[in-house]
Formats: sequence, structure tokens, C-alpha cells
Amino acid sequence: MENLQSLESEKIIQDLLPQKFGRKGKIFIGVLLAFCLVGLFAYYRQLRYGLVVTSMRDYVSWGIYISNFVFFVAISLVGSLITAVFRLANVEWSKPLTRIAEIIAVAAIIFASLIIIVDMGSPERFYNLFLYGRIQSPIMWDVIVITTYFFISLLLLYYPLLPDIKILLRFKEKSGKGLHKLYKFLGSYWKESPKQIKLSDKAINILCITIIPVAFSIHTVTSWLFATTYRPGWDSTNFGAYFISGAFLVGAGSVVVAMYIFRKAYNLENYITPKHFEKMGRIVVLLALLYLYFNINEYLVPAFKMKKSEEAHLLGLFTGDYAPLFWFAILTGMIIPIIILLFKKGRKPVPVFVAGIMVVVGAWFKRYLIVTPTMLHPFMPMYNVPESYHHYFPSWEEWAIALGSLAGTMLVITILGRIFPIIPIQETLNEQHETAA
Amino acid sequence: MKLLHKKLLGLLSIVLLIPGYKAFSQDAQKGTLSIAIGYYNENNQIPYVKAKVKTKVDGRFKTVAGIPLKLYLNKDSAGNLIAQVVTNDKGEAAAIIPASLKSQWGAGPSHSFVATFDGNKKYDAATGDVTVGKAKIEIDTTSDRKIIATVYEMKDTAWKPVKGVDVIVAIKRMDADLNVNETATFSTDSTGKASADFKRDSLAGDANGNITLVAKVEDNDQFGNLSIQKTVPWGAKFVPVNTFDRRTLFATRDKAPIWLILMATSIIVVVWGILIGLVVNLFKIKKLGQEA
Repeated sequence: MENLQSLESEKIIQDLLPQKFGRKGKIFIGVLLAFCLVGLFAYYRQLRYGLVVTSMRDYVSWGIYISNFVFFVAISLVGSLITAVFRLANVEWSKPLTRIAEIIAVAAIIFASLIIIVDMGSPERFYNLFLYGRIQSPIMWDVIVITTYFFISLLLLYYPLLPDIKILLRFKEKSGKGLHKLYKFLGSYWKESPKQIKLSDKAINILCITIIPVAFSIHTVTSWLFATTYRPGWDSTNFGAYFISGAFLVGAGSVVVAMYIFRKAYNLENYITPKHFEKMGRIVVLLALLYLYFNINEYLVPAFKMKKSEEAHLLGLFTGDYAPLFWFAILTGMIIPIIILLFKKGRKPVPVFVAGIMVVVGAWFKRYLIVTPTMLHPFMPMYNVPESYHHYFPSWEEWAIALGSLAGTMLVITILGRIFPIIPIQETLNEQHETAA
Repeated sequence: MKLLHKKLLGLLSIVLLIPGYKAFSQDAQKGTLSIAIGYYNENNQIPYVKAKVKTKVDGRFKTVAGIPLKLYLNKDSAGNLIAQVVTNDKGEAAAIIPASLKSQWGAGPSHSFVATFDGNKKYDAATGDVTVGKAKIEIDTTSDRKIIATVYEMKDTAWKPVKGVDVIVAIKRMDADLNVNETATFSTDSTGKASADFKRDSLAGDANGNITLVAKVEDNDQFGNLSIQKTVPWGAKFVPVNTFDRRTLFATRDKAPIWLILMATSIIVVVWGILIGLVVNLFKIKKLGQEA
């Protein structure tokens, strides 16, 4: 970060302190809140009238909620990529992006947990999962790893915040009373003594090492929810790696989008530079190529064999009802971003941002395509069921809840970005001192 | 104007003629049914008759469901009615010979069965019949695992052995019958007997090693369908493998495999041990801060 050499420490601190929402920020928050409220109303209706308000029936019992769940779990994996993998590999340029990644991870994992409860017909019986859960069930494994990952992500967000909180406490007037109290509660004990720094650094290293296998587990186990059942499209030994590669891609895509928006909104051009977009662009294109490779494996091999029992499912995706969505997800989620990002001009902030949005949108539809079409093509043919059971299109309540949860995730990210410095201040100062020396 | 009236009248005539033509054409398209009757006597108990109704569609026979039939013994009169039946999805309908026809049934050594269909909007009336002689089949086994099936026919008022009847001797299995040896069908000799050697030594039986032998005459022009069964302890004892009480991945929660419990618990203990350690570490940092 050559820009840092020319900046004074105090200027850096002023630049990176959390800023109040401007007019655009308030409108953005208002829109997100509106989506959340409509989602809450739809959920109230679902609680009151039951899952019948959704379009899920006997065959499609996993619809848009589970697609959303897989999407959130995928996005949350970015915490381990940017924070843990890059930190352990001493990737210096990634430091300004670590907090963005961790905030996204925490927000996504919160809503992954919530959306699973939304998918339950009787959420008041949720505790039975713990009372009577079977350790043999992948669903139980998922509950365990999600809880663990959430906790690790929180710690990984909190530990590196301590030095920044010490700085934030110096700016009581700018923070306001409420936030100052919160900062005091969270980190007034941080005195930056050598012993404290040693303990904190050690803890962060342990967290970075621990989060990688847990992150791999969370997404592998999520893939096993599908792969351990015998259904067309899910009956695959490739699913764990396929899911993880897709998760890394959408996670990196979401970081690219978030860093562009935060950079614009908080004027962080000196800290999140075109160089960061160039590097992240390279990572996204690498991950997109990797995910494309797994997709080719996942679809080409079964298509080559075209087993009778899987034919309807595969043709439905390639040329049937789901073909427009399928090719949209492949093109938008992988092919076009790859084409954009392979070229140097495509790795400038705006094209990288556009490619990031495409990756995220494509990834959401990809999750929908993994979950729903399979359920419409069971091995035992549907027989003697109402016509509506043969199709699935989410009801307005499902759309509202799904969009509400997406808005909720963005709201949490935005609020955390308002409360805490989106770029680690102390680490930036340290880097400035090092480059100046 | 006159011309217009004529035209309107012509149009009206065509319109009125169309339904009439349609009705006529429907009559012309009525299908023809063929009714086949089979006579069955299983284990020498109450015999029954089964009618099968088919029609030709695009040059191929297709069974017809929902056809009401009247089944008669010897002739189609009210006093000889066996039953009124309706064909099922396979185009079949069956009825036992009722006790009310006992005297007619005992009257002679051979009988005819008649099935009639009165016709409906789709199909013309149809009849079918078959004549069979009264017969029975018996099954016996010897200590050297030989199966002997004997076929008798009623002559005058006595059972006489029949020569030259094809008898299938087999073992009853779940989906189909299994030959007792490499030959499927055996012919009766002058004493009415057909014998078959049992060559399926390792065949799985029930818990006691019992298997069911069957001897049958199928679609015989003279006697219809006869069959008889006998249970013999010639099979291997079947010991069921019950995993219900074992520790498996698909068992109840208290029957989880030990290796899985150990693995899951160790992972949880190690990971959460580290996390608890890190929380404790925070308190240490806090304490250091307060001391400073």
C-alpha cells in the first residue's frame, strides 16, 4: 500500500473511523428494513396458517428456503478464505479486506441458522433436535458445525477488533454516547501491553488454523445433506468438493461487491485500491474456473451416461423447464465473470464489481437449481397426486421471507460496518509505520 | 329473398343432420368383445371360473375393464346363474360355483360355463363358453425326494387315472414357480402318475426349512386348470439377519455406531475445547488490562 506512506497516522484514523449514515445510507437502510418487515409479516402468516402458505408440497419439500440456506452457508465460507488462509499465508495486501470478510461471514451464518428454522413447520419444536437428535444424521452434523462455525467467526471478528476499539474509545464525541458505551463494554480492558498483544496474536493464529477445517466441514456436511440421499442430481461423490469450490467463489464474489460499495460509501479509495480489485479479480477468476471444472464433472459425466432414472432431471436442466435458469446460472455465475476477469482491463474496480454481482446472483440461482429440480424428479414416479405437486414455484410468502433474509444479511453487514471500522485501523497504522520505516 | 330462405333452410338441415349422423357414426364404431373363460380347481377345493374380456384396438388385443358379465353353469338361464361380475383393471372377473348349484354340478362328469355380456354404448353384446370335464390332481412325496403327481378324471361316478396329461411340478417362490429339476413339465403314465426328482437341495426355505411344492395342469383343453400344493421340509433353514437391535447408521439414536460416537465426540471436544480455551484467554487479557 504505497499510498499509506504519504498519509499521517491521524489522517488514517480519521479516514477509517466508522461514519454516520448519509442520506443514501439512510435510504438504503430504510429499503432493507422494509424488505425485512414484509418478510416478517410473511413469516407471521406462515406461523399462523402453517407451511401450506408456501408452494412446498409432498414432493418439493425443500424449496427456496433451503436454496437460501445453502447460499448463506456458501457465502459464510469467505471468512476462512480471506481471513484465515490469507493470514496464515502472509498475504499482506489482503489485510484491509479481512474485516469485510469476517462481517460477511458472521451475517451470513446468522441467517443460515435462521432460515433453517423458517423451513420448519413447527419451529417451537426445534429443541427436540437437541433432545432427540441422532448423531448418525447429517442434519445433526450440520447443526453442530454451523454452531461451531458461528462461534469461531464471532471470535475471529472480535479478537482483531480489540486494538481498534481502543482507538475508537478516544473519539467519544464522534461515536456518540451509545456507541461509546458499547466500545467500553467490548474492549476498555485492552491496554496494548506486550503480554496482551502476545496472547491476542496467539489466539488469532489458533482461530485461523481452527476455522479452516471447520469451514470445510460446514460446507461438506451441507453437501452431504443432499449427497447422502439417493436422488437424481444428488447421488454424487463429487458433492463435497463441488460445494466448497462454489462456496469459495460466491464468498470471494460477495467480498468484491462489499469492498466496492464500502469504498464508495465511505471514501476509502486510499485503502481499498485498484490493486486490491486486481488481486481479488485474479482470485475470483481462479475460483470461477475451479467451480466450472467441478460443474463440468457434475453434469457432463451423468449426461454422458444418461441413465434412464436421471434422464428427466438432466434434460429438464439442459433443455427443459429449468434450462433458461440453468444456463443463466452457468453463464452469469461463471462464464461471463471468467471472460471479464481474465483480462487486465476487466480487473479494474468497476468491472470487478460487476463480475462480483454476477457471481453472487448466479450463485443464488445455482443453489436453487441444485435443490428444487431434483425433488421434482424422484426415482419412483409421481403417481396419483394433484397436478400442483408436479411443479414448484415459490409463493409470495416464500419470496418475501427469502428476500427478507437476504435484506437482513445486508442490514447486519451495513450495521456492523457502521459500528466498527470496516478496515482494521491498528493494522493499517502498523503497516504505515513499517512502510515509512 | 326466396333464395335466402332456401339457403337458410339448407343450412338448418345440415346443422340438424350433424348430431344424427354423429349418433349413427357412434353406433357404427361400437367395439367387439371376446370373452375367454377358464376353469380353476386349486387344492381340490371349491372350483371357480374366471372370464377374461378383450377387444381389438389398432390390430392388438387389449383387456377391457368395467364390463358387466353374467356367468352361468351349463346354459344361460336364471336358474343356472353362477354370479354377476364386473371385469377389473386386467379385464378379468371371477366367481366360485355357489352352493345353490350343487345339484347341477353333481349331475354329470362334464360341464359347460357360459359368460354373457348384454352390450352397452361402446360394445356389442358378446358371449363366451367353455366345456370341461371334472378332474382332480393329487401330490405325494417319497423319502428319496421324489414328487409324484396323479391326475384323475370323473368317469360315470368314479375317479379314474388319466394318461398323457402334462403336469408342471415346481416349487412355489415369491414371484414365480421354480422347476424342481432341469425339466419343467412331466406327462402322466397309464396310472395317471407323473414323477419328478427334487434336485434343489440348497434352496432357502422358511425358518423350519419348509418349502411348498406345487403340481399343476394349466389350460388343459379337457380339464381346465388344476393345481395342488404340499409343504415339505426339504429347504435350507432361513436364519433372518436382523439389524434392528444393532448399532448402525440407520438405527435409533441410542444405537449409533461406537466409532461414530467416538469420532464425533472427540472432534466436538477438541474443537470446543480450543474455543473455550480462547474464551478463557479473553478473560486473561482482560485481567492483564485491569492490572495495568
